Amino acid sequence: MKKTLMILLLVLMAGCGGPIIDTQQVPAKYISGALPTEDPNSSLWNDAPEHPAKMMVQDVTEPKLIDPGVTLLKVRALHNRDWVVFRLEWDDPTQDLIPKSGSSSDAVAIQFPLLQGSDVPDAAMGEQNKGVRIWYWKAVWQDDDERAKAGKGDRIATLYPNAAPDHYPFEAEPLKKDPKLQAEAARRYAPAKASGNPILVRPNSGPVQVLMAEGFGNTTPTGTQPSAGHGVWNSGRWLTTIARPLKGGDSLGTLETGKRGYIAFAVWDGTKQHTGSRKMRSGWVPFILDEK
Amino acid sequence: MPRVNNWQIGRTMSYWYSESRPNRQFGAVFDINKCIECQTCTLACKTTWTTGRGQEFMLWNNVETKPYGSYPLAWDLNVLKKLGPQTWDGSTYTGQTVFEAAPAGLRVLGSERQTIDYNYPNVGEDEILGKVDRGGSLSIPQQMWMYYLPRICNHCTYPACLESCPRSSIYKRPEDGIVVIDQSRCRGYQECVKACPYGKVYFNPSTGTSEKCIACFPKIEQGLQPQCFVNCIGKIRLQGWISPPEKVKEDNPIDYLVHVRKLALPLYPQFGLEPNVYYIPPVHVPDQFLIQMFGPGVAKAKETYRNAREDKTLKGLIALFGCTERTIPYFKIVGDYAVALDDNRREIVRVPIYEPVIVRKAQDRLYQIMRSNTT
Repeated sequence: MKKTLMILLLVLMAGCGGPIIDTQQVPAKYISGALPTEDPNSSLWNDAPEHPAKMMVQDVTEPKLIDPGVTLLKVRALHNRDWVVFRLEWDDPTQDLIPKSGSSSDAVAIQFPLLQGSDVPDAAMGEQNKGVRIWYWKAVWQDDDERAKAGKGDRIATLYPNAAPDHYPFEAEPLKKDPKLQAEAARRYAPAKASGNPILVRPNSGPVQVLMAEGFGNTTPTGTQPSAGHGVWNSGRWLTTIARPLKGGDSLGTLETGKRGYIAFAVWDGTKQHTGSRKMRSGWVPFILDEK
Repeated sequence: MPRVNNWQIGRTMSYWYSESRPNRQFGAVFDINKCIECQTCTLACKTTWTTGRGQEFMLWNNVETKPYGSYPLAWDLNVLKKLGPQTWDGSTYTGQTVFEAAPAGLRVLGSERQTIDYNYPNVGEDEILGKVDRGGSLSIPQQMWMYYLPRICNHCTYPACLESCPRSSIYKRPEDGIVVIDQSRCRGYQECVKACPYGKVYFNPSTGTSEKCIACFPKIEQGLQPQCFVNCIGKIRLQGWISPPEKVKEDNPIDYLVHVRKLALPLYPQFGLEPNVYYIPPVHVPDQFLIQMFGPGVAKAKETYRNAREDKTLKGLIALFGCTERTIPYFKIVGDYAVALDDNRREIVRVPIYEPVIVRKAQDRLYQIMRSNTT
C-alpha cells in the first residue's frame, strides 16, 4: 500500500512539472539565438517562467466594460538582448477573426511606458506628456495575411461564401482589362482605404501594430517600430506571441537588461463585442529582462 | 455633463459636449403623404455611394412601411422599449432622452445590432393596421392604415453617434452641420452603430470602419440638393437650412414649414438628438400612433396640411418641392407663382401654385365613346 502511494505521488509530481510561477513580476528569460517570435508552441517556452496577470474590467472611461471578460492572462517572456518576445495565453471559447455587425476581432496587447522608471504614467493608456507605447495583436490582421498568402477570398467572401451581389461598379466589363483602373474604381467605394486608414493600410507588416497613446481616445499608430507576432487558437484557448526589439526606432521606451521596468496587458473578446476601451486590462506589472 | 438647449423637447438636457451650433444647419422636409415607396431615393443613394465591397447591406437612404416595417430590424421598437413609457407636458418633454437614460458606464442608451438586423430591408412592407379614423374613399369591411417612412441620417444637432465615439472620429461640419465619420481615423469600434437610435450608422466588414450618410456634401457645397432629393419622383423632399427658433426667417422654406407653420415635425424628438429631417405627418393615420413618432404637434400639423389647399403660401411652398436640383435657401410668393430664391435672393425657378384644371365631359362627342377615368 505504502509503495503504491509513493508511486502515485511521484506520478503526480511529474505531472506537476509546469513552469515556475512568478506572481510578482514578468521575468524575461535570456536565451541565445533566435527567439520563437512567431511560434507560441515552441518548446523554448517550456523553460520560461510564467506570470499570471490578473485582468480587470476597464472602468475608467466611457464606454466602460461592465461584464468581465478574460480574467487571467498567463504571460511568459524570452529575450536575446536584441528582441524580447512575450507569449500570452488566455481562455476564449470562440475564435473571432473578421469583425462584423455585432462582433469584433479577438485581440491582445502589451503596453510599456515611454519613459521607463518609477514615475510611470497611468496604466490606462498613459497620460498627457507621459505616453505609452503599445504592441497590439489583432486576429483579423493575421487572418487577412494568412488568407492572402493562401490565395483565399477577402473578408466578405469569407463571411458570406454563398452571397451573390448583383454588381460592383469596379467589375464593369470595360475595367476588367485594366487592373489598375479597376483598383482605382474599387477605392472610390472604400473611403477608409482611400484615406489611408492605418487599420487597413497597416504601417507594420504582420498582425501586430505599434501604437502611441497619451490617455484615452488618441491612440495613433507609430509606423516606425518593428514588431512580430502570431496567434494560435485551439480548443478554446489563444496562445499568442508578441515581439518587440529592446531598442525601438527612437530613444523612447528602450528596455535594458537587468533594470526593472513595467508592462501592462489588455485583452479583447470579439464575441462580447470588446473593442477600444471595452476591454479587460491589467495595471502595471513589474518586468525584468534576465541579465544572463 | 453640460446642459444644452433642445427646442424640439422644449427644455434643456444633458449632453456630453456643450452646445455648439454650426454656422448653418442642413435641414430637410419630407412630405410623407406623397411618398409611394418606389425606392428611387434608395437606389439613387445606393448607386452613388454604397456599391462597394462591404456595403452590400448598407442603405444610407431607405424607405420602410409603418407600422410594421423597419430597417435595421426593429430600430425604433428597440429604443422605445428600452426607454419605456415616457411623458410630454404640452410641448415640453418630461421623460428621459437617450442621453439621460444612458446605462452606467456608457454615454448613450444604445441598441445592440447584429448582422441579421440588416437582412430584411423590406420587412413589413405594405402591411396594414387599424382603421382610417375619418373614413376611407371606399367602404370595405376592414378599414386600415399604413404609410411609408423615407429615412436618411438626420444630421442631428446633438448626434448620439458623435457623442459615443471614444476617438472623436465623428464631427459636425461647421459650415453646414452635416455629420460625418473621419474615415482615416475610425477604428471600427461600432460605438456609433449602437448609439444612433435611428440605426443610421453602418459597419463595413470589408474595411472594418463605420460609414453613414454624408448628405451628399460634395453636392451641398455646390448649392445642389442631395441625390435622394432630386431623384424623388413623388417630389416629396425639400432640402434647405433650418434655423434655431430664435433666428427664424419667414422666407426660409424649412423655417417656414417647421417653425412658422409647425407643419413639419421631427422624428422621435423625445430621443433628444434634435434631428434635422422633418416630416409632414400622414393625415390618414391615427394621432395616437403619430404622436409617439413625431411628438405632440401632430394634430395641428395634420389640420394645417388638410387646409393647405386654401393657403397660397403653404401650397406654393409645397409646389417648390422637387422642382429644382438647387438648394432653396429662400422663397417668395408672387401672384399665382411660388418663386425659389438663392442665398442672394435671386430667382432660381418659379412654379405655378395652381395647375390648370380641365373638366372633360364623360362622353367624347367626336368619337362617340364614353371616357373612362383611369390613368
